[in-house]
Amino acid sequence: MGRVLLPVLASALLLAGPAQAADAPPGASSCTGCHATTKIADSVIPRIAGRKAADIVTFMREYRSGAWPSSVMGRIAKGFDDQQTNAIAAWFAAQPE
Amino acid sequence: MTTRRTFLKGAAVLGLAPAIASAQSTAGKVVVIGGGFAGATAARTLKALAPRLDVTLVEPNPVYTSCPFSNSVLANLREISQQEFRYDGVKRAGVTVAETSATAVDATARTVTLADGNRLSYDRLVMSPGIDFNWGALPGYDEAAAQKMPHAWKAGAQTVLLRNQLQAMDDGGLVVMSAPANPYRCPPGPYERASLIAYWMKIWKPKSKLLLLDAKDAFSTQRLFQNGWAELYPGAIEWVPLSKGGKVTSVDPATLTFTTEFGSHKAAVANVIPPQRAGAIAGQAGVADRTGWCPVEPVAFESTLRPGIHVLGDAAIMGGMPKSAFSANAQAKVCAAAIVALLAGVKPQDPILINTCYSLLAADYGISVAGVYRPDKGQLTDVPGAGGVSALEAVGGLRGQEALYAASWFRTITAETFG
Repeated sequence: MGRVLLPVLASALLLAGPAQAADAPPGASSCTGCHATTKIADSVIPRIAGRKAADIVTFMREYRSGAWPSSVMGRIAKGFDDQQTNAIAAWFAAQPE
Repeated sequence: MTTRRTFLKGAAVLGLAPAIASAQSTAGKVVVIGGGFAGATAARTLKALAPRLDVTLVEPNPVYTSCPFSNSVLANLREISQQEFRYDGVKRAGVTVAETSATAVDATARTVTLADGNRLSYDRLVMSPGIDFNWGALPGYDEAAAQKMPHAWKAGAQTVLLRNQLQAMDDGGLVVMSAPANPYRCPPGPYERASLIAYWMKIWKPKSKLLLLDAKDAFSTQRLFQNGWAELYPGAIEWVPLSKGGKVTSVDPATLTFTTEFGSHKAAVANVIPPQRAGAIAGQAGVADRTGWCPVEPVAFESTLRPGIHVLGDAAIMGGMPKSAFSANAQAKVCAAAIVALLAGVKPQDPILINTCYSLLAADYGISVAGVYRPDKGQLTDVPGAGGVSALEAVGGLRGQEALYAASWFRTITAETFG
């Protein structure tokens, strides 16, 4: 089911405000170094703000296990356990798209 | 903009509404010295988290010239103007930008003296002064020598100078680069530069070669670079490690000569990447130690030498985290949240940080190194099992894909930093 998600993520390009990091869970504020909080022209990196938490969690688990191939996300996903991943996913899901 | 409703909804998911409420009302004065990837991010994030904070960014240059992607300027893949960013977005965020330099920091009185004569007081100070060169650490190399043998390790006029020298070089001319010992700004940078100069030479100066003299026996992402050089530029790049006489002991700008422990090399174009230390104001403020860099604790990146001063980016000693723009931006966001917590009398949470560095070996050939870091035994430490470099065997157009990611990353990080 995770395999149909990429185009959905890639098309999610609505405007959002600057990252609100004060109460973001550990790790979340680093994600926006690549996954922009605002619309970026010609970016091939999908935005994740406002995506469903369950979908983000699925992706992170599949990146971590290698079930979903990746260039860099597998290496990053391995740095987060389930609890940390769930917290980050819930936080991004609650951010405006 | 994030509305208060969605903001509180997000906070409610994590049961953090009371802390958010205090962040919204937190007041105080924060001064940020240095408007690079760390400083500009810190200033904007502080205002986003705590709109009532009085935040001043001290930065003498009206335009920031980005080092990331400046090697592509050398290879004529980009214009220097595409590296330039202004502070309009920082000002729009409600930050006061003082277009002058900081001349003194008094950590006891908590004041910053500016070159324009003003004095700013602060509750918390963020120092992100970047690097300065250890002029004199390499005999023969000083600011005058840098006009003959550019460093191009602070992007801008130096980048253009080196590009112009390369373009004026006769086909067949030898380019000599020197890379310093660790630590220095952008660990894979010298090797990306050698790659992109070779990329450019293959088109415009096919008889030329590049000699890279290195004060180290190993470097970041080494196998990927060396495999790529063999594949893309066979015979064009010669890397000389420390143990084979790579350490440069002096240079002569009059003859563009590098002297090593094993001999000397005369260049047609010479690029010296000199030994470095934290920006000079860090030494004046007392936050740099005898290494020339700034030790910090790993949660709020507060100086272990001077309380109330947080040091970010290339100037700081960040354990396993490399000196990169990604790191600087990530540290700044963590630090801003920690400062808001500290000003509200709340203990900052232990952070997790990510770094990803992309390097280009050609316009359509990218590689990366990534890491995940957390505080452990007083310093930022690699999370075991995470991070590492791109796959050695590239399948499915991986190198081209990473080159695209690199370009997207640059557009994102500069927007996240400068607004």
